Amino acid sequence: MLTRKRRRLGAKIAVLAGLCVGAAFAGLPVVWMLSTSFKTNGEVFQVPPRLITENFSFDAYKVILADATQLRFFINSYIVALSVTVLTLFVAILAAYGFSRYNFPLKRSVNAVIVTVQAVPPITLVIPYFGLVVALGLYNTYPGLILTHMVFTLPYAIIMMTAYFNTLPRELDESVKVDGASSWTALWRILVPISVPGLVAVGVYTFMISWNEYLFALTLTRTDDMRTVPIGIQLLMGQHSYEWNQMMAMSILGSIPVLVLFLLFQRRFIGGLTSGAVKS
Amino acid sequence: METAKLDPAASPGAAKSASESSAGRRRRTRPFPVQGVVPYGYLSPTLILIFVLMIIPIAMVVSYSFKDNVIVEQNPVFAGLANYTTVLTDPDFLAALKNTFIFITVSTVAHLGLGLAFATMLNTPLLGGVTKAIFRIVYILPWLFTVAVIAVIWRLMLDPSGVVNYILTTIGVMREEVTWLSEPNTALWALTFINIWAGFPFFMISILAGLQGISPVLYEAASVDGASTFRQFRNVTLPQLKPVLLSMAVLDLIWTSQQFALIWMTTGGGPLNATEMLSTYTYKQAFSSYEFATASAAAVIVLLLTMILAFFYVRLQKER
Amino acid sequence: MTGGSTRLQGRTRRLLGVMAVAMIGATAVGCGSGSGASAGSSGDGTVTLEFAQWWAPELPAGSFDKLMSEFTAQNPKIKVKLLSGPYASTKQQLVAGAASRTLPDVVGLDGAWVSDFAKQGAIADLSALMAAAKYDSSQLASQIQIKGKTYMIPVVNFVYPLFVNNDLLAKAGVKTPPSTRTEFLEAAKKVSALGGNVKGWALPLDTAVPNGVQNDVMSWLWASGGSMLTKDGKPDLTGPGVKSTVEYVKSLNDAGVIAPGALTMKEQDKVEKFSTGQVGMVIDSLAHIGLIKKNNPKLDFTVVPIPAEDAYTGKRGIPYASWGIGVAESSEHKAEAFKLVQFLMDKKANAQLSTLANGFPGNKTAEPDFSTSDPLFKTAFDIYKAGYPANEFVGLPKSEDLMRSFDEQLQLALTGKQSVDDALNKAQQAWAPVL
Repeated sequence: MLTRKRRRLGAKIAVLAGLCVGAAFAGLPVVWMLSTSFKTNGEVFQVPPRLITENFSFDAYKVILADATQLRFFINSYIVALSVTVLTLFVAILAAYGFSRYNFPLKRSVNAVIVTVQAVPPITLVIPYFGLVVALGLYNTYPGLILTHMVFTLPYAIIMMTAYFNTLPRELDESVKVDGASSWTALWRILVPISVPGLVAVGVYTFMISWNEYLFALTLTRTDDMRTVPIGIQLLMGQHSYEWNQMMAMSILGSIPVLVLFLLFQRRFIGGLTSGAVKS
Repeated sequence: METAKLDPAASPGAAKSASESSAGRRRRTRPFPVQGVVPYGYLSPTLILIFVLMIIPIAMVVSYSFKDNVIVEQNPVFAGLANYTTVLTDPDFLAALKNTFIFITVSTVAHLGLGLAFATMLNTPLLGGVTKAIFRIVYILPWLFTVAVIAVIWRLMLDPSGVVNYILTTIGVMREEVTWLSEPNTALWALTFINIWAGFPFFMISILAGLQGISPVLYEAASVDGASTFRQFRNVTLPQLKPVLLSMAVLDLIWTSQQFALIWMTTGGGPLNATEMLSTYTYKQAFSSYEFATASAAAVIVLLLTMILAFFYVRLQKER
Repeated sequence: MTGGSTRLQGRTRRLLGVMAVAMIGATAVGCGSGSGASAGSSGDGTVTLEFAQWWAPELPAGSFDKLMSEFTAQNPKIKVKLLSGPYASTKQQLVAGAASRTLPDVVGLDGAWVSDFAKQGAIADLSALMAAAKYDSSQLASQIQIKGKTYMIPVVNFVYPLFVNNDLLAKAGVKTPPSTRTEFLEAAKKVSALGGNVKGWALPLDTAVPNGVQNDVMSWLWASGGSMLTKDGKPDLTGPGVKSTVEYVKSLNDAGVIAPGALTMKEQDKVEKFSTGQVGMVIDSLAHIGLIKKNNPKLDFTVVPIPAEDAYTGKRGIPYASWGIGVAESSEHKAEAFKLVQFLMDKKANAQLSTLANGFPGNKTAEPDFSTSDPLFKTAFDIYKAGYPANEFVGLPKSEDLMRSFDEQLQLALTGKQSVDDALNKAQQAWAPVL
């Protein structure tokens, strides 16, 4: 009994130690980022490096938060990422329902196309894409960016949602259909409400992809009133010098919404992934 | 469960994995003409979006790749496979191919390895829920930052006079400062390390989700048989996780091969092409050499290579 | 319980709903075409010009907008919409815009881009616009021409002198800033001997933006009156001038006076290291004076001519970069666009802009206002007048690519993977088909 307890304690310490090493790997760069955001630019390369310097201040944050252009980047990112999330979920639910509950000619091919699409390297598309978006009148607009992000978030969302719907017994929608409801009603009244964990998982994933997307956000926008946070951070890199503290402050501020999202939904997020990923 | 009684054909179909569905049978039971188009109706938003914003640009890239001096010349001529020959015989392209291979395989192996290790530790019954929740948040941190920031923070830390060198020389691991990102021998590994740091949380979370989906009954059975923790891991955890691990691996290979911004903002493909990847090669061809035709040919080759990965992914999806 | 027909109706309606969503998506995508034209003219004849440049972010906040409102005050029917971003992203957007014939009406240009944009037919022939506007081009200090036609007018020119950290040099026992290559090597050695993280010189060779080849390597050649091209414009990289330059840079590298990390160092890092006192000397744009002072108000530095070969007594070429201006070929308002060009080249506005930017005016008759500018600006102006502007990359086709291929060979030579001669031979081979 005693040895078992002791072994348990040993295992516990080993796991804790392992977790701490991992946490250092994951967390220390972020600590350094935080520390840099409180320094003045001159102190960034101070030797020896210090976590907290004499000139510790929130000035960088004040500068960012007082700057209407920078705030606009945040608003743009919210608009784009939230729209992408809502629209991706909507479109993916429909497509996943189609895949999960119907059989139709070309089903395999269509599925293969959608899966394959997520393997298309964005960089290969930038050249024609730019011309296309301009021709469609979507250059430097929210819809242009939103639709573009959707093309890259949809495949994974559809795959995950199809897998999720596949775990839900078919009797569920059949039972309401027998009562005379359409497949549409069955989908929205029955399947969607019980799929919330899966939707949360896909939603968080989609939001993060869109919030952090860089290449197209840079290429498809050209005025400050359309640019998003990642581009805003890059603008602070300037051509000639780095505004280290402001860049770091802006990244910290930029990561807060994603962190909050994760904190709020982490259980459901992991739960959603569980049912989507494993049970299928 | 009235359905089962009324429509007996449906239930065995539902019991099966639904993708091999029973809709064919249901079509017989519900012979509305509209049934045939219903699935297409549900799929139409997806299909239109993908057609307009994905298939069309891909077709454009493919057509560019067969022309000579496209975009730069007003009237490009058909060039056959000339652009492909140019790309495939370019030593820089071959170097990029090799670097990309190293970069994506090492990243993927590390992502899954770290993901599995961290997820297993986070799933342990030995620790309390709050402790685990705190660690979970710390572990997720790298995922919260956009690639521009990741590039900047690591450039700052890996600077010759940055904090990493300071710590390593102070504690005596190294005698001299190393210019991590500017040394041809270390640049690719430093870059891969950054990518590992930036990417592991998603895989960790996915694997954690997978672990939580394994029925405790399996472990109980194993421990009744007297299996050690390690044997439980090998005989229960790994086989159960195999589908998740496999599709995560293929997804990661695909995603990592698409990495561009991180490389561009840290090393730009240098020093001495040590970190040149297929993505940076393509970008340079287009935006610095104005060789849009060879850039397109390179893009098509990259596309074909990733299609191979996608093929495996599709097969994995089907097997599941 | 509803009957079959109602069910069908319900389903059809839903289905139509889905289709409608899809169609709206498709029409939003399809009907938008054309509405994104780059410039607009409204009913009352007011024209809005789009002007893409990287200048506004480099000027004191708000000062460029002020200049633009002066223009609008003079031309009430023309409005200007500024599209501002940093140099690198401006470039990427212009390349993409040129490829799809959607450049903004007026574009800020770097001399290095002109040849490619002109060849693509993306920027308009300014000679024709000047003729149409009966513009007197004799007041222009320079025009960038391709095949005899002007495509870019330099608005403000920035020279690249040697920046010297007075404190570090004094501490190292260097009394006067170096004027010859030998003196520079000695000074750099002494500064590097101070220890810590301090080195004598910084050499940014990052291949993502390979401008270092122009600003920090070829500048040594031009300062000694050399040329990287033959008289008829063919590459001359294996000639004695380039060879001695590269050998000199290699000797600096071998002496260990170059700040570590050169192979992936970016221009920002160079400025950063100079302003934090980590390097004693850098070749840098005069435009950065304000920035360096802002980063480190305590830094005591000055500017001197780039050192020349020991025996050289002739005039020194001084590298420069320009804020150039051009008009998009696809613009529907070329005449109005040229009015904006004219305004920026006008004696008064040009002098004003040059003073703000710490650059030299593109209009010969414009005099920068030294009374309000930094004293170093006056010093640099004297250096400039004593020498001649030299930048052989301006107007060359694929100039960034030329810099990159040279950069790659230079990196191989610096790391000892090949000899200087091999590097120059290979670079020569890479350049020959382009020029």
